[in-house]
Amino acid sequence: MWESIVNIFVNILLLIYKFVGGNFGVAIILFTILIRLVTHPLMASQIKSSTKMTEFQSSKQWQDIQKKYKDDKEKLAQEQMNLYKELGISPFASCLPTFIQFPIIIALYQSIMRAMAASPTQLLVLTRVVSPLFSSLLHVNMADLVPLNSKFLWMNLGQPERVYMFGVGIPLLAIIVAVTTYIQSKVTLPPSTNPGDQSATMNKMMAIYMPLLLGYFALTFASGLSVYFITGNLVGIAQYALLGKVHWEALLPGRKPALQTQQAGRKSK
Amino acid sequence: MKLKHFLMIGGLLVLGLLLGGCASNLSASSWAGMTADADNAYIAGGPFVYAVNLQTGAQVWRFPSKASTASPFYATPALTSDGQVIVGGFDHKLYSLSAQSGLQNWVFDQAHDRWYGGPLVINETIYAPNADYNLYALDLHGNLKWTFEADQSLWAAPVSDGQRVYLGTLGRKVYAVDAQTGKLAWEKTLDGAILGSPALGTDGRLYVDTYAGTVVALDAASGEIRWQQKASAWIWAGPTLDASQLYLGDSNGSFFALDTASGQQTWKQALNGSVLSSPLSNGDTIVVGTEGGSVYFLDHNGKALHTLTVTGKVYTTPVAAGTQVLVAQSGDATQPILVAYDLDGAQKWAFTPAK
Repeated sequence: MWESIVNIFVNILLLIYKFVGGNFGVAIILFTILIRLVTHPLMASQIKSSTKMTEFQSSKQWQDIQKKYKDDKEKLAQEQMNLYKELGISPFASCLPTFIQFPIIIALYQSIMRAMAASPTQLLVLTRVVSPLFSSLLHVNMADLVPLNSKFLWMNLGQPERVYMFGVGIPLLAIIVAVTTYIQSKVTLPPSTNPGDQSATMNKMMAIYMPLLLGYFALTFASGLSVYFITGNLVGIAQYALLGKVHWEALLPGRKPALQTQQAGRKSK
Repeated sequence: MKLKHFLMIGGLLVLGLLLGGCASNLSASSWAGMTADADNAYIAGGPFVYAVNLQTGAQVWRFPSKASTASPFYATPALTSDGQVIVGGFDHKLYSLSAQSGLQNWVFDQAHDRWYGGPLVINETIYAPNADYNLYALDLHGNLKWTFEADQSLWAAPVSDGQRVYLGTLGRKVYAVDAQTGKLAWEKTLDGAILGSPALGTDGRLYVDTYAGTVVALDAASGEIRWQQKASAWIWAGPTLDASQLYLGDSNGSFFALDTASGQQTWKQALNGSVLSSPLSNGDTIVVGTEGGSVYFLDHNGKALHTLTVTGKVYTTPVAAGTQVLVAQSGDATQPILVAYDLDGAQKWAFTPAK
C-alpha cells in the first residue's frame, strides 16, 4: 500500500519532469504546489478549526470558567469539554490535518529520492517502479529519461547542500528552510491574548521547534527535500494570505497582530 | 490540551525518525565491489573495506577502524604493483591503503561526489572515475596528473590499452582520451546511459552495453560503430570478452554470447533472475550471478556446468582467485558477503563480517 503511494508519486513527478523539459528542481516545485492544491481543503479546515479554537481561548466565557475552577483541574477539564460540545469545537480538528500531511511529506521525500536515482540502487529501484501506463502515455521509457538531471541552480538535489566560501561549507538552503519555516509559523499561527491559552503556548513552541527540525532535515538530507520545504512554506503563506489569515505584523518586533487585538476587543465586549 | 501538545511533539519526532529511516536506507546506495591478488580478496562492502585471506576466508584487516555508515565504500578496489589498494568512498575521497596492513598511505580529496566506479591502474597511473563527471588521473602517490571532464556522472571503471583510456557515462557518451595527457581523442553518443565498464578487445574494438538494451561494437581508434545488437531488456553491466565471443546478460534474465566479429548471437540461456553484473570468463568457464541468488558456471557453448544457490542477491562480478571463484552477495547483515567456491562449484569458505 505504502509502496504503491510512493510509486504513484514517483510517476507523477517523472511526468512533470518530462513536461518541464528535464528540470528536476522545477518538477519538485510544481509537484509541491500540486500536492498543496490537492490538500488545500485539509488546510482550509485546519485554519477554520484553529480560528474557532483561538476565539474559544479568548472568549470571556472560557476565561470565566478558568478563573472559577482554577484550583480544580478535573472540573476545569470537564467544563472545557462541555463548552467544546456546546460550541461545536473538536479539540483535535486543528492538528489532525497537520498529522495527515506527515505521511504525505514522507511519501514525497521517498518519491523525490527514488525519482532522482542518484545512485545505482536508486536507479535500479526506479527502473522497476515506472508504470507501463506512464511509458505508454508519454511514449517514452526509462532509457530516454536517464540520466535524470539532478542539478538545479547551484545544487545537486540528490545530496545535502553546502555553499563553499573560503573553504567553509555553508548550509544556505538549511538556513532558508529554517527562516521560511519560522516566517510561516509567525505569520500564520493564530494569535491569542489569553495568558492561560495553552494552544497559544503550544503554537509558540511549534514556531521554535519546526524551523529547527526542518532546518536539521535540510542540513542532513538531500537538498531536493529542502526545495520541497521552501516551496511548501511559501505556498503555505500564499494559501493563508488568500484566505485572509496572514498576520504580517507578527514579524515586526514588539508589535502585536492587529487581528489579535481586534478579536480580543470584540470578545471582551 | 496537554494530549494535543504531546501528539504534536510526538508527531514531529515520528516524522524525524521516519525521514531518518529513509536517509539511512539511502546510504545503502550501491553494492559491493571486489578484487583479489594472490593472497587476499579485497571487498568494499559498506561501512568497511575488508581484506580476506584466500586460503582461510578469515579477515586480515578492515578499513577504517570505525564503521563509516554515513560514507560507505562500494567502488571496486584496484591494486597497484607496489602493494596499494586504491578505493573510493561515498565521502568523496579516494584512499590508498597498504594491501598488507590496511593502513592508509594517502588520500585524494579533490573530487566532489561519490565514487561508484572502481579505478583502473595502468603502468604508474591511477584512472579514477567519479560521479562529479570527472576522470582523475593520479600518480601512485596520489598526486593529480590531469582531469578529464565528461558530460555526466561516471559510474563504471574505465578500460585502457595503455595509449588511450575509454570510459562510458550516464550521459550516453563514450569517450576515448589520451592516457598521458587526458586530451580527448574522440567521443560517441549512444542510445542509453552506460552503467557498466566497456570491454576492449585485441581486435581493436571497444564493446559497450547501454541501459537502453543495446550492445555496441566501436572502432577503438575512431569511435565509429561497427555493429550493434538489441537485447530483450535493459542492460546494466558491461560485457565480458574472450577470444571470439562477448558475454552479457539483461534484466529479463537472458544471458547471451555474441560473435565479436559480426555481433550475431551464438547462444542464449534463460537464467533465474536479472543479470546486473558482468560475467567472469575464467579459462573454460563463464561464471555469472543473478539477482535471483543463483551463480551459473557455463561452458563457452552456454551449457550449464554447475548452478549454485546463494543466500543473497548477486550484483557484483565474480572474481577468479587461483583455483577459486569468489562471489560477493548482497543480503542482510547476518549473511556472508563473500563466498569462495572451487572450480567444481563446491563451497570452500564464506566470510561474514564481524559486527
